[in-house]
Amino acid sequence: MRKQALLLSGICAALAAGGCIPVQIQAPDEPIEINLNVNIRQEVIVRLERDAEELLERNDDLF
Amino acid sequence: MRRIQASAVAALVVGVMLAAALSFATPASAQNDSVVSAARSSGAVGEQADGYLGFVPGADISADLRGRVEQINIQRRALYTRRAAERSVSVNEMAAAVACEVFESRISAGERYRDQGGQWRQHTASAPVSMPSFCP
Repeated sequence: MRKQALLLSGICAALAAGGCIPVQIQAPDEPIEINLNVNIRQEVIVRLERDAEELLERNDDLF
Repeated sequence: MRRIQASAVAALVVGVMLAAALSFATPASAQNDSVVSAARSSGAVGEQADGYLGFVPGADISADLRGRVEQINIQRRALYTRRAAERSVSVNEMAAAVACEVFESRISAGERYRDQGGQWRQHTASAPVSMPSFCP
């Protein structure tokens, strides 16, 4: 019990010493399904055109 | 008492080592470009109508490549999620809007892409990219 607590505190120290909280981003387990026929409202897509262009331009490394 | 202190010190040391390991574990995103774009060119990886990158079935995907593509998708999802919240739309809709732009201008000839129906196709000189029906 005490050992566990110590281990925990060690991990906490690790996070603190790391200077940042490691953001654990889990890759999705299953492949992302293509199912765009539902819930995509075309008028929304039209409205988002500018945003989409901007996201592409600002994040060239991701596209 | 001394024993507890010793354990605490040991735990701290382990912690610091862990922290060091974590801080060096950051992938070099600059390298993503060449590896992933080579995979796109070779047809192993392609853009999908859902706004993410996908693996073409049957392609030989190294663990390294898989990791890089998944990282890109995770970062894309984060982008979509943030912007979707700002615009009060669903993440899927934001992703779809980006997919429209990608399909329109970012799929080079020779590259493969996955259409709205889930079918993998190839953009060639004679076969332009087939746009999803939800695109303007």
